[in-house]
Amino acid sequence: MDRKDILEKGLLTQYLLGELTQEEGLLLESEIQKDSVLQEKLHQLESDLEKMAMENAISPPESIRASLVRAIDSEAKDTTIPLHRDSPKNAFNPMRLLVAASLAALFALTSFFFYTRWQSAQENFILAQQEQQQLQEEVQTLSNEVKVTQAMVSVLNSKDAIPFLLKGNQLSPKARAVAYVNHKNRSVWVNPQALPKLKEEETYQMWADVDGEMISMGLLPTDKELIALTYIDKAASLNITIEPKGGNDHPTVERLISNVYL
Amino acid sequence: MNDDHHIELLKKGDKNALYALYDKYSGALYGVVIRMCRDKELSEDLLQEIFLTIWKKIDQYDASKGKFYTWAYRIARNKTLNALRKTDTLIQNEDMSVYKNIKEEELPQEYDELNGVLKNLEDHHQKVIELVYFKGYTHREAHKMMGVPLGTFKSYVRQALVQLRTNYQLPLGFILICFEVIGYG
Repeated sequence: MDRKDILEKGLLTQYLLGELTQEEGLLLESEIQKDSVLQEKLHQLESDLEKMAMENAISPPESIRASLVRAIDSEAKDTTIPLHRDSPKNAFNPMRLLVAASLAALFALTSFFFYTRWQSAQENFILAQQEQQQLQEEVQTLSNEVKVTQAMVSVLNSKDAIPFLLKGNQLSPKARAVAYVNHKNRSVWVNPQALPKLKEEETYQMWADVDGEMISMGLLPTDKELIALTYIDKAASLNITIEPKGGNDHPTVERLISNVYL
Repeated sequence: MNDDHHIELLKKGDKNALYALYDKYSGALYGVVIRMCRDKELSEDLLQEIFLTIWKKIDQYDASKGKFYTWAYRIARNKTLNALRKTDTLIQNEDMSVYKNIKEEELPQEYDELNGVLKNLEDHHQKVIELVYFKGYTHREAHKMMGVPLGTFKSYVRQALVQLRTNYQLPLGFILICFEVIGYG
């Protein structure tokens, strides 16, 4: 546990809120004591949270203060001072004292031994827990990536998927996109990676030509590797236009940059 | 008079020192407790109990480890959560954390509103502070309530605290700028 770790994990906040376990709190306190930067950060955080709490204060009813005063007063009356009696049993006996002192020393030594053993075991346990959590997160990320890649590969490798290359016209000569049309399972996937980047307020949109009418198949954001679009029955061609961000109801045909016949 | 003096007297058993600290901090602590449990009667009982605990356990307070208010806030939070655990049904989640099924009472709107510089923060930053500070949820509970991953939630908390810091530093900076402007005519 170092300063960077403590600050990045927000442990100071959790410490102030009382969220940490006793062991975690003790470990953190020992780190804070050694580090003046952490001390300063903690102090700032405490001051800010205190100011924030003061700004959100709600005045309690007056009766609570009165009842607190009554409770403290009655507690003081109830407290009785125990009488000290010197019985023969309590009389001073050097031998008893010696035995008690030896036992106490033995107990203190064994306690100290077990305490240090417990401390180091505790630290190892916390470290192991942190490492295990990191590993779990990594495995989760990797398995998600594998699932996405597997899905892509199955789309591209399907023997029923027919690839169509969409080349850019004179409006965008460098534009390239590949559409995979699968008539059997009625799906269309497009790889838009080779389409040139557009301005922030523009997007590519794909259209299917059905009997001369252009029907939207969906948008083509260029930051995705593979996009699933709507499969349109009886499409004669696929067309890509540049439209305002969010897409259009009707294609802006003067900004048609590519098309391919199916 | 600062807290150190009152705490010193309180450690010697001075009741008036406790009442002075009550006058200073009871509003802030009551604000936390009532937002957390949303039950006026229970909040009043808890506030008294919190100050009785402060009275009995002031010897355990170590000024080198933090401010008095932080210590008192932790007592308030623990007492309130314990009280809610006793009175409410607990719902155990699949990751073994426990959610409180808080009985929500109709309270005046001012109890729900957050005030001060918190109002300058963006909505999601206000929300994270409300959940972890004023509602007493742990980070692990609160990120689920907000529907964001734990890492994102922690980033929100960090950003919110930076915003608070900036806002609290602002008046001092503003005064310094005013002085400079006056100085240069």
